[in-house]
Amino acid sequence: MALPVGMKRYFLNLAVLVCALGAGQARAEDASAIVKAAIEYWRDVSSVAVFDMSIHRPDWQRTMTMKVWTRGNKESLVRVTAPAKDAGNSTLLLDNDMWSYNPKINRVIKIPSSMMNQSWMGSDFSNNDLAKADDLIDQYRHTLLSTERHNGRKLYVIEALPNETAPVVWGREVVKIRDDHILMEHAFYDQSGVLVKRLVTTELKMLGGKMVAARERMQKADKPDEWTEIVTREAQFGIKLPDSTFTLTNLRNPRE
Amino acid sequence: MPFDAGSPPLVVTLAWRNLWRHARRTLMILFAFALGVWSMVVIAAISRGSMEQQLDKAILTLTGHIQLHAPGYRDDPAIEYRLAPPDALLRAALAGREVSAWASRVRVPAVIASERESAGVTLVGIDPAGERGLSFIPAAVTAGRYLESPDDQGLVLGRKLAERLETGLGRRVVLMSQDVNNQLGDRGFRVVGLFDTQPRQAEEAYVFIGRATAQQMLKLNDAVTEIAVMIRDRDRPEATLDRLRAAAPGLDIEPWTVIEPLLVLTQKITDVILIIWYAIVFAAMSFGLINTLLMAVFERTREFGLFQALGMPPRHILGQVLVESLILLLLALLLGNLAAWATIASLKGGIDLSAVAEGMELVGIAPVIYPAWAPADMLAANALVFVLGIAASLYPAWRAARHVPVEAITRV
Repeated sequence: MALPVGMKRYFLNLAVLVCALGAGQARAEDASAIVKAAIEYWRDVSSVAVFDMSIHRPDWQRTMTMKVWTRGNKESLVRVTAPAKDAGNSTLLLDNDMWSYNPKINRVIKIPSSMMNQSWMGSDFSNNDLAKADDLIDQYRHTLLSTERHNGRKLYVIEALPNETAPVVWGREVVKIRDDHILMEHAFYDQSGVLVKRLVTTELKMLGGKMVAARERMQKADKPDEWTEIVTREAQFGIKLPDSTFTLTNLRNPRE
Repeated sequence: MPFDAGSPPLVVTLAWRNLWRHARRTLMILFAFALGVWSMVVIAAISRGSMEQQLDKAILTLTGHIQLHAPGYRDDPAIEYRLAPPDALLRAALAGREVSAWASRVRVPAVIASERESAGVTLVGIDPAGERGLSFIPAAVTAGRYLESPDDQGLVLGRKLAERLETGLGRRVVLMSQDVNNQLGDRGFRVVGLFDTQPRQAEEAYVFIGRATAQQMLKLNDAVTEIAVMIRDRDRPEATLDRLRAAAPGLDIEPWTVIEPLLVLTQKITDVILIIWYAIVFAAMSFGLINTLLMAVFERTREFGLFQALGMPPRHILGQVLVESLILLLLALLLGNLAAWATIASLKGGIDLSAVAEGMELVGIAPVIYPAWAPADMLAANALVFVLGIAASLYPAWRAARHVPVEAITRV
């Protein structure tokens, strides 16, 4: 299992490299390949991570610790582990479907489409931000706008325009991806070109054997003193996870 | 015999002359009655007009005269309760002469989202051409364009909803709903048209896309959720209903009176309010009438005594007072109806209430009311005034006829 994926990654890296070298031609494909590689790098074949999510508001701030399991592009499970008040709240994502479990009411709730635009656990992320992160690959047309430098590495600035029928409300999105596949910034613009919100990576760290974005902040442009910050504390990649992890049963009755 | 007391013309002549003995008093009661009749007919026309408008509006707001659904849809308008497109048999029934328009639709609850807002709406997939004469939407698009075909890729949005979503013509929005597999069906659409309609709630409630596009988005294949039918005579859907039910026995086929019971209630409430209004106006009028007649009768006590002494039977005295009242009533009805007709004719252009329109919209009344001349209401008002007016005059007439001649003559 590990080898073919490794090979795939190798070829992807190679593709990115080749494209970067031969800049100028077929720019759309390069840009798409860079985005795809970044998302695959971030997702890996599977991952288990622990992170803190801090929700900051002008008059209060709170932090939750969560554990997240992912496998491929379609499966993920998030479980709150601290504080005790929120512990056990979980979210299961299978493709575009989302369920949430609250131990206090002991109920699994399927998140209806009407709630997909709402905030996830009170943060500045919407349910859609989580469920549709992968849409960035196949629902958009990508263009390489420019390249910058970041800590001695190349930083690709890529514009992503949603396809006509894509279920995306944004007018355009601009992502900055380092040549080691780390997403440094993701900005969302409305259809008149006004910035609505921005996800910025402020800290990089070696975790689970590779360099990842360890501190990311999501902020709405019109609310400068409100943000949500995610700090990844530990992460492991490419480990084998059982099928039972990503089930409604496991959402309700954690076996760990 | 000096005069023929038995001939009805004499009674009429006496009544007529007596009426004009106190011309001012008679004119006043005449005017009061005419005013009452005028108010009955005009109020009836205005409320009937407003009610009809409300009804027409509601029927055009995607109700139609008859709707065909899969059983269960009316209790839970979800995509599970869908129906196949009409087969040959049903098409033949729908091609009947009394059907003026019909179209199939996909109507499901959905969520529409823009960059900044999202809202719950009813997603309606339509055959743009089929909706002509069936619903308000073809004529309501005031900016951009109406949908062109069932597989039009655009979306038509209410102006108020567009404002709420902070979006507009040419912008993209996302529609989300549940598809037939119970999964999220979502898709981006470009807003190609904005519609304005009354009531304004409908502008926020409905979002229109092509039927085929909706079917594709919700993986419906060629299934729809409803067929709406408009017939020539709104109040007589029974024959069409029977034929449609025979052609499609498995479907839930109901007229607008069943689908929108509130509309029937509105109709009934209008009737009740009119009857109450009639009763109040008539009660006020009848006191005036009884009072006037009683006064006239008391004044003429000696006269009636003399009539009787000369051999006039009491029933003719009774008749005299009744004829007096009859003439008064007929004149008042004539005047009142003429005035009412003139008023309604002059209000043909509608009564513009837009100054208070915002409040009116809340209760579903259009800002411009067009009075509707309803012969039945007018007839009812006239018959009521006439019959009850005569009935009210019975008491003064009976008092007049009941005098003992000697006592009456000798009364000072």
